[in-house]
Amino acid sequence: MAPNSPSLDKTSDAAMSRRNFLRGSAAVGGLTALAASLSPLRELHDFTNTDQFLQKYYKELTPDDMAKVLKRIESEVEKNYGVRPHVRDLKPMDGVEFVYCLNLTRCIGCRKCVHACVNENNQSRSPEIQYIRVLKLPHGSMDVEKADQNYAPASVPEKGFFYMPVQCQQCKNPPCVKVCPVHATWQEKDGITVIDYDWCIGCRYCEAACPYFARRFNFTKPEIPKDRLNTNMAYLGNRPRKQGVMEKCHFCIQRTRAGRYPACLEVCPVGARKFGNILDPNSEVSYILREKRVFIQLKEEMGTSPRFFYYFDK
Amino acid sequence: MNYSPPSAPNEKAARTNLMLVGIAVGFLVFAALFTKNLWGRVEPRKEIPLVDKKFLETTPWRKTYADFVKAKDKDALEDYDCYGCHEKNKAPPIRYDKAGKILIPKEHSDIVMGHGSHDRNNLCFNCHNEQNLTTLQVRDGREVKFDNIPPLCGSCHGPTYRDWEAGAHGRISGSWNHANEADFTRLSCANCHNPHAPKIPTREPAPGPHLLRANPETHATEATH
Repeated sequence: MAPNSPSLDKTSDAAMSRRNFLRGSAAVGGLTALAASLSPLRELHDFTNTDQFLQKYYKELTPDDMAKVLKRIESEVEKNYGVRPHVRDLKPMDGVEFVYCLNLTRCIGCRKCVHACVNENNQSRSPEIQYIRVLKLPHGSMDVEKADQNYAPASVPEKGFFYMPVQCQQCKNPPCVKVCPVHATWQEKDGITVIDYDWCIGCRYCEAACPYFARRFNFTKPEIPKDRLNTNMAYLGNRPRKQGVMEKCHFCIQRTRAGRYPACLEVCPVGARKFGNILDPNSEVSYILREKRVFIQLKEEMGTSPRFFYYFDK
Repeated sequence: MNYSPPSAPNEKAARTNLMLVGIAVGFLVFAALFTKNLWGRVEPRKEIPLVDKKFLETTPWRKTYADFVKAKDKDALEDYDCYGCHEKNKAPPIRYDKAGKILIPKEHSDIVMGHGSHDRNNLCFNCHNEQNLTTLQVRDGREVKFDNIPPLCGSCHGPTYRDWEAGAHGRISGSWNHANEADFTRLSCANCHNPHAPKIPTREPAPGPHLLRANPETHATEATH
């Protein structure tokens, strides 16, 4: 055996040793794997500047910081869409807690609210992101397992069915807030659960935690036609989102915190949607909760205590 | 033992180099596939047509007399000039067929009678004032102007009128804060209901959700999620 070893080394020198071959292949393989693993970065379009990257948590921003952030967002939107938006950071009002009531007797399932919402809140048109799902249910049943959201008859309402629009229920005890590992979503004192799109890491825990399927994820860069961009924007509301963040209904924060009704209510052709301040005893929502047959908070048994109530007229 | 020294070292080195080049080329091909996304390329997304702007319309589908006055719509207001055709101080006659169904004169052929079931509500002067056709009347004799009809409707539909006044029936637009009257507007009964046939007609629904890469054939039967 002994005399063989030196001669083996000799032959290796002449061509290539097994060790060197393995080293070379491993190096090339490693580089390929690295390149493949970095390839998702090619789809990163929205990473604009270091200001955004170094931006502080929403609750830690001073008014000066916020002014700078809003300026940055405005110029980004102008760059991407060619229009200068009006972005505000609207704070909750004192003595106001928002509640939504929806009259199931009146709703005809026309889905106008769905599209008014998309239009108001700058949701992606392709792929489609919609905050409101209108469920068609057979009369005499509240079983959402039997619901159909893809109905497409020539005209609505159809005989024997009723329609139940479902959107974020703005829970008093929101499971989505509890699961967020970075506190990118929280409940404000006027009852609206908001998302800081610049702080969200896109883990989608909140989407899984929500019993109402109210949260939507931007799998791709959202597509909004320039001529349909709503330029009245709020930081926690309808400013354009980027790929990889969550979004959901926020009771049209850019409207409601400025005193206006949400877009879904303004477009409802049958007046089935009611919105207002529950702390004001003269508001229509106070009247409804006091006087009408308020039938459900959806999935009441979950203990989420929604601020969204469904009621009947008769 | 059965090892023999290489007879042609150059030949072996060439073979090794060939193999190395082969591996390298293989890797490069894979890399090209990755970068060009040719490997496992996903089907391109289907174009989703933008929703028709008619579904974004917030104005109610009917206009009332008050709206016409506000908009100074002369053509529409002509319809309310009753004494352009009718004779003053003379109640117009109402004719019925043998079955007791009201006969609509051809001058008013646009009116479809459908207020109440079984054609029971078939007397024009239940609401119109036969003494003065430019106004309406409640059954107790109160005169009601065309631009403020809710009290007339409310004289029969009490609970609905109560809900409407509280904001639970109908639609209020503008501000949810009702402290200031100027900040909000309340739709009137006739903005949504045709007084002659108040049941709201059915309408075309806006398009439903387009599922990502959904098969159009199975789309309609797709489950909720």
